[in-house]
Amino acid sequence: MKLSLGPLLYYWSREDTLAFYEEAAGWPVDSLYLGETVCSRRHLLRLPDWLDLAEKLTAAGKEVVLSTQTLIESESDLKALRKMVADGRFLVEANEWGAVRLLAEKGAPFVAGPTLNAYNPDTLAILAESGAKRWVPPVEMPREMVKAMLAATAVPESMETELFAYGRLPLAFSARCFTARHYNLQKDDCQFRCLDHPDGLTMRTREGDDFLTLNGIQTQSAKVMSLAHRIDELHTAGIDLLRLSPQSRHMGRVVEVFRALLAGDIAASAAPEKLDKLMPGQPCDGYWLGEAGMAYHPM
Amino acid sequence: MKLPNFPKPIARFVSTLPSWPASRAFVAAGNLVAWPSLRDLDWSHVAGRRFRVQVSDLGLKLYFSVHANGFRALHNGLADVTFTATAQDFARLALRLEDPDTLFFNRRLLIEGDTDLGLTVKNMLDAVELETAAAGMPGGMGRVVMKLRHLALK
Amino acid sequence: MPALLELICPAGSLPALKAAVDNGANGVYLGLKDNTNARNFAGLNFDAKSLAVGIRYAHDKGVKVLMALNTYPQPATLPRWHQAVDIAATTGLDAIILADPGLMAYARKTHPNLRLHLSVQGSATSYEAVNFYRERFGIQRAVLPRVLSLPQVENVVNNTDVEIELFGFGGLCVMVEGRCLLSSYACGDSPNTFGACSPGHAVRWQQTPKGMETRLNGVLIDRYADNEKAGYPTLCKGRFDVQGETYYALEEPTSLNSMEMLPEMARLGIAAIKIEGRQRSPAYVAQVTQVWRAAIDAVKKAPQTFKPNPAWMAQLNKVSEGSMSTLGAYYRPWK
Repeated sequence: MKLSLGPLLYYWSREDTLAFYEEAAGWPVDSLYLGETVCSRRHLLRLPDWLDLAEKLTAAGKEVVLSTQTLIESESDLKALRKMVADGRFLVEANEWGAVRLLAEKGAPFVAGPTLNAYNPDTLAILAESGAKRWVPPVEMPREMVKAMLAATAVPESMETELFAYGRLPLAFSARCFTARHYNLQKDDCQFRCLDHPDGLTMRTREGDDFLTLNGIQTQSAKVMSLAHRIDELHTAGIDLLRLSPQSRHMGRVVEVFRALLAGDIAASAAPEKLDKLMPGQPCDGYWLGEAGMAYHPM
Repeated sequence: MKLPNFPKPIARFVSTLPSWPASRAFVAAGNLVAWPSLRDLDWSHVAGRRFRVQVSDLGLKLYFSVHANGFRALHNGLADVTFTATAQDFARLALRLEDPDTLFFNRRLLIEGDTDLGLTVKNMLDAVELETAAAGMPGGMGRVVMKLRHLALK
Repeated sequence: MPALLELICPAGSLPALKAAVDNGANGVYLGLKDNTNARNFAGLNFDAKSLAVGIRYAHDKGVKVLMALNTYPQPATLPRWHQAVDIAATTGLDAIILADPGLMAYARKTHPNLRLHLSVQGSATSYEAVNFYRERFGIQRAVLPRVLSLPQVENVVNNTDVEIELFGFGGLCVMVEGRCLLSSYACGDSPNTFGACSPGHAVRWQQTPKGMETRLNGVLIDRYADNEKAGYPTLCKGRFDVQGETYYALEEPTSLNSMEMLPEMARLGIAAIKIEGRQRSPAYVAQVTQVWRAAIDAVKKAPQTFKPNPAWMAQLNKVSEGSMSTLGAYYRPWK
């Protein structure tokens, strides 16, 4: 199995973002996903910046994938999407079906992102015909369903599977910005408050339990999905890449733990303890087991 | 138009009734009036489950279950699901004048306990056609029911 | 002549279907009694017998019947969705409403004459996405998610041949439909796979000394004082604490009501207006259909002078979640 660093879901300053990827060039990850997938107002890095970064990381021996915006609303969103698709130097992750159309028209191979909702082999086969060489299952897809997908004859043998294996789960997207709402600001005048929350804003229940994370128009889990302790199951299920989702602190050490797991240098049973201090929240693994996403079953 | 409220003296009298006789009276009436139009529904998921209907303004608590041959009164005890509303609102629901979700939003209907069971029953009853049900009622009751609904809709 | 502002109303039962037909719907949409549609609630929806009766009743009065098959088929149960498409094709339904591309491919191949609509659960928010479904599967209508402002809707309309249907009234999804997993994060079941958000088996309402509590699989969604209006037990309409402030962090309990935008929707050539609420009673369907029939007729007659009648708005607010309504994303500041 290989390791990938998923797209950065938060909004950091330009310096912090560039510094993060400079460090990441030295981490033992095989692929990096670049680009703004959450909000079109986040502009500190624009496509040319991401492309520069992509060149540098490629030169450092990494596979680079450009991720498209998940919620496309306006003509300018489409313009940005078309530019990304047109560049052609890098693999692209399609996160909605408009991007699939553009990539298929161009005949470019692509990664089918988790929000394309490939819940059955027929749909995955359509993605494959359209040019997908890799897919990321919806984050709620359980182990048994992933296995059934890969066992289906409709799905080409060559299709690579990348699983969301670590990080706060992206659960929902809205037209509304919940961070701006929290500050009583309108989205069009949000004053870029996301910059103040490098790992999102925690939303607790009225009983004080951390429940969700507000990240602009995206809602994430407050818990951190981690399948590190289930690494053997991931092997058996036929997963090719593990996606680790960026967080503001300790990301390099999280990558190292996963790399050590893959190399057999640490036991799966030792993983939770190693990750415990590195995680911005409590762990969860329920989706993988076909349960509530927030559930957690240490082995 | 609102349905007439219960006259106060009757309400006071009803509120003094113990549950068991009240449940028996309710079940007897239900079996006579409503059951003919309900018997063809698929009650298999509901059979034997314990219902409590609390008529809040009358202080009345009715306990019963549903079986293949009709309603059965139960002694007080634990219920799987409890519906709470006023007599007026229950009547409006029965006559299809009010939408249960609307009453819920307005805090005039409460479903406690097994929500799925409560929703199942709500949806099953919604699927019964009032005209057919009224036609199956004994004596002139069906006509009275439709007349009441007609008046209230005006 | 292309369709313009058809009124499409919900039916969770035969009496609801009749209420929609009798009160002026142009089309009624419904689902089967399983997870092939996104209102998979116990006791709700249609079986073969009620479906046949419903179709005859509607067709006799010139009203169309559409079937929602708008959840995502999964490997183990795919045949059930195929069977549902076959039922739709052989019972004389006027169209099926789909979200999953795999299922669209099946419908297209097996029943080429069956009319396909793209469900809101398909999350298509751009004309590029809508045109993808058009080219590949020949969809003839798309229902847009409740996230676009009207100028954004106009941009979609101007760049596709596909008819566009918009939500007019009813429950408001704050999130892009088809891209919301909040329910399954808390309780394991999502609209995409299970066909319901906050399914009954995971919901508990309880009157406590502190107020009425609503929980989803134990997670406290909200607690209401006696005089407070309540909403559906969905996570997006609950009150939570963010940085020490407790408020409706995502959205208040409220319904969508876009009636004042009807003239603009008519100008854009919107083919149909959808009313949400298959989970609701025949009384709701009758009331809402009646009001919207009157409104659409008034707009068609005199679009320039159209103003929503206050009595209509009062009637709609009465049946709204939390007794409130909003223009939602159609009105940009909402975002």
